[in-house]
Amino acid sequence: MIDWTRVLITVPAYNEAENLPVVIPEIRAAAPGAHIVVIDDCSRDTSREVARSLGVPVVSHPVNMGAGGAIGTGFQYAVERGYAVAVNVDGDCQHDPRHLADVVGPVLEGRADVAIGSRYVAATAYRTPLVRRLGMLLFSWVTSRFVGHPIKDTTSGYRAYSLEVMRHFQRELPHDFPDAPFLIALARAGFRLLEVPVEMRARERGESFFTFGKSMYYPYKNLLASLIVAMRPGRRARRTS
Amino acid sequence: MITRSQMVAGVTALALAAYVLNMVRRRRLSEEYSVLWLVATVGVTVLAFWSGLLHTITRLFGALYDTSTIFFFGFVFVFVGLLHHSMKLTRLENENRELTRALALERARREEEKS
Repeated sequence: MIDWTRVLITVPAYNEAENLPVVIPEIRAAAPGAHIVVIDDCSRDTSREVARSLGVPVVSHPVNMGAGGAIGTGFQYAVERGYAVAVNVDGDCQHDPRHLADVVGPVLEGRADVAIGSRYVAATAYRTPLVRRLGMLLFSWVTSRFVGHPIKDTTSGYRAYSLEVMRHFQRELPHDFPDAPFLIALARAGFRLLEVPVEMRARERGESFFTFGKSMYYPYKNLLASLIVAMRPGRRARRTS
Repeated sequence: MITRSQMVAGVTALALAAYVLNMVRRRRLSEEYSVLWLVATVGVTVLAFWSGLLHTITRLFGALYDTSTIFFFGFVFVFVGLLHHSMKLTRLENENRELTRALALERARREEEKS
């Protein structure tokens, strides 16, 4: 049985005014008693007002900071308030909150420092376009080499983090794509990663931030950042649990 | 005997130096950034009026023409300048991110206290 009062659910949102009224009630139903905070990444729509009207606290960036920037803000918010676990549920409805217990459980029970909601450790209905899938396989291979065990879904943002992880990385998170390089950095700092199977949904409303330009830049940046992270001396985190 | 090309190079370098100093005087350019530009103008002036030095450097570098040496130094100057500014931008970006986050969290804290 999960003690949801020890859990912070961070919902990064960029122009998600249409999706927030769907995802917030879903989270409340799946994680009763959990504290929810929306990290508004300088949306141009009414995401901020919509979140407040739903009774959810909002941390609003005055300028756009990217996906990693929003997650980093969630880390600081959680560290300041001493939550045992923070779990990221994207505001675009792609992360199904029904799996919250599956993602949070291993971290809260101390079986892992980071639990990754993965689309590829069990058969799911999620279908990835071929080119993107090939890219994911490449990054999965690179990450697995450095982590020491298979990590199949390096791009999933549906992750739960322990307080120690958040303390360690609150100022060092990559600001644009916190994917393979971040997972490698976590492993090099001595944190335990665990993948748990989840279903993900396709975006139904709003626009994806993943533009053509970003999809071209993504493989270059992530490959380079992965190698750089692997070359840096590993700063081991002091684990108390 | 000062040639016409030496005159053009010298006058251009002096005009650039005067412009840079004026920018510093008007606080539109910090002293720190003015160093690179002033060093460049001094370099251009020295090479323009001391052709013997330019010939020597050209020979040392194994270049055939003096213009190649000048272009080489020009390229190095632009490269170092751009790299320096990229590093500065990265630092500013990181500081900006920290400030943005601190401001956002402080605002949220105040709102929570109010409600």
